[in-house]
Amino acid sequence: MKSCYLSGAASAVVLLAMAGSAAAADKYVVGVSNTLIGNGWREEMICSIKAEAEASGLVSKVIVANRNGGPSEQIADIRNLISAGANAIIINPSDREALNPVIKQAAERGIVVVAVDQAVTAPEAYVLTNDQVDYAKIGAKWLFDKIGGKGSVIEMRGIDGVPADADRHQGFTEVAKMYPDIKVTTVFSGWALNKTAQVTKDLLASGKEIDGVWTSGIDSTVIDAYKTAGKKYAPVVGADNNGFIGQLINMKGDGVSGAAVSNPPAVGGAGLGLALDVLQKKEHPHVVKITPTIWDNDKEMDKLKAAYNPKLDPFYSVAINVPPYTHYTLDQIIACKGP
Amino acid sequence: MTSGAFVRALAMPALLTVALALTRLAHPTFGAFDIQSLALGALPLALAAAAQAIVVISGGIDLSIGSQIAIANVLSASLMQHADFRQSLMISVLVLAAGAGLGLVNGVVVALSRIPDVVATLTTGFIFGGGALLILERPGGGAPAAYLNLAAGQDFGPWLPNGLIVMILGVAAVWAPIRLTRIGLLIYAAGSDPIAAFRSGVDVRAARTIAYLFSGIACAIGGMALTMTTGIGAPLAGAYYTLSSVAAIVIGGVSLTGGRGGMVGPVVAALLLTLAPMDLVFLGIDPNYGQVIQGALIVLVVMAAGFYAYWRERK
Repeated sequence: MKSCYLSGAASAVVLLAMAGSAAAADKYVVGVSNTLIGNGWREEMICSIKAEAEASGLVSKVIVANRNGGPSEQIADIRNLISAGANAIIINPSDREALNPVIKQAAERGIVVVAVDQAVTAPEAYVLTNDQVDYAKIGAKWLFDKIGGKGSVIEMRGIDGVPADADRHQGFTEVAKMYPDIKVTTVFSGWALNKTAQVTKDLLASGKEIDGVWTSGIDSTVIDAYKTAGKKYAPVVGADNNGFIGQLINMKGDGVSGAAVSNPPAVGGAGLGLALDVLQKKEHPHVVKITPTIWDNDKEMDKLKAAYNPKLDPFYSVAINVPPYTHYTLDQIIACKGP
Repeated sequence: MTSGAFVRALAMPALLTVALALTRLAHPTFGAFDIQSLALGALPLALAAAAQAIVVISGGIDLSIGSQIAIANVLSASLMQHADFRQSLMISVLVLAAGAGLGLVNGVVVALSRIPDVVATLTTGFIFGGGALLILERPGGGAPAAYLNLAAGQDFGPWLPNGLIVMILGVAAVWAPIRLTRIGLLIYAAGSDPIAAFRSGVDVRAARTIAYLFSGIACAIGGMALTMTTGIGAPLAGAYYTLSSVAAIVIGGVSLTGGRGGMVGPVVAALLLTLAPMDLVFLGIDPNYGQVIQGALIVLVVMAAGFYAYWRERK
């Protein structure tokens, strides 16, 4: 009786193993590591990975390791994704250097690692990012020119100590040096809606003269705070978030003026597209940088209107695709469902 | 050892064994690579839990643990960047001293000002956190490979990662002097009933200051462990350990009202709290549930402890 059970169990194991290898032969397991949660941009990034996995038809499973943490937590997550059998791992790195040893370990096992949004220095990794220095530069330049090269400007940064924030601050500072009559006050938004609202409210209540606001991507909240306070709108630079673009279009008559700088979270899906290409032995350069563009509501209203999508979450970026790497539809990214 | 204490001491390791067995069942390839992952992931948290346990047993609570770990992390990584292995060991001693100093600051502020621990350490936590950013503005620094190998290596075979040994030695280094000397008695007495302790001649303020001092040393070890496992200093990386350390000690059976609990529980709890997100990745479950599971685990453990106490009183 006992041996009967055993052989039954053994054959079940064999069957499972066969099913496993059959699935592995033509479909890939994809791991995702993200260490900032509760952030619309990062959510959209993960949805774009799931959508690309669905659209490609090459992926059997997407495993998302998603929690708040630093390099230590991310190293653990990447190790777990390796152990879980991932063929490709898409990471939004929490640090440039710290993940290099674990990326090397993954590469030694034949796993394709793509860092998106922020760069890593590991030579084994593929890197696909938005140019964060340039992101800040073009926005700052637009703002300084808009207010005639002189006045008092708020620099609303993200989280102190995070690579993308440091890069953007560098870009902003470089441009500010060329405008000696611009006075900069720096505050931190923590890339969080509640903190941004509080900081903006405090600034407006302080009676400080503000000629322009540059934000690191939490933008519509600033316009909302102006509206609540009943103050005359100062020009605001934000990202290509759906809600902000809606304000630039619909509130122009109320005096809202501003510009949206592109920062597509679809780099996530693009990273997967690149990884799948590499897994199928197609050649790719190891570093891909996406150059940001800027649209303001003076001259590029048509582009803003074309991009605005009332179906999309207000805190989602309108740039849902990164050609030629992504292949999914708008409905697929909104559904946010992987295979 | 009373039977109750015996049950409490064995409960956590038993729970970990069951969790590991279940993990192996769910993920048959769980092996040496994953044991190494577990050790690396749990190492800083285990020391944070040890630091928190000492303070809570003495009747306080330390909300500056994450910032203290961050300071040790950035201090070691910035000083060791161009140092060799021997110099790095000497720097480690310096970092330990700095950690003891931060702990002492906490202890003195709490003891002299009589501000509640929650408020005092929340405030010093902000100050220390700012200090970490002043030492290292953005993630960077480094340490020699031999130093990183102290925690990241596998010198005793793949099944016994160095990280596990550093964890045990590090916790023992702060716990043994407390447990094996009169200090332990003073700290437990101060935490369990400060008035009774005072009337029995215990200098409660001194006892609690000493607890903070040892807690600071544990944080320094935790911060250096973070340097060893990540290879860098990150001024914000400590932030996650403050509340996780509270979770670990509660699961590990340390009473938040002070005077009760040991060190095995919190350390094993740190391993459990590291294993839970690993399992979620293996099973492909959205790790946002990890928060839910962590919370549910705390409620269950606290309830179980309550029922156990109730059952013992009835008996």
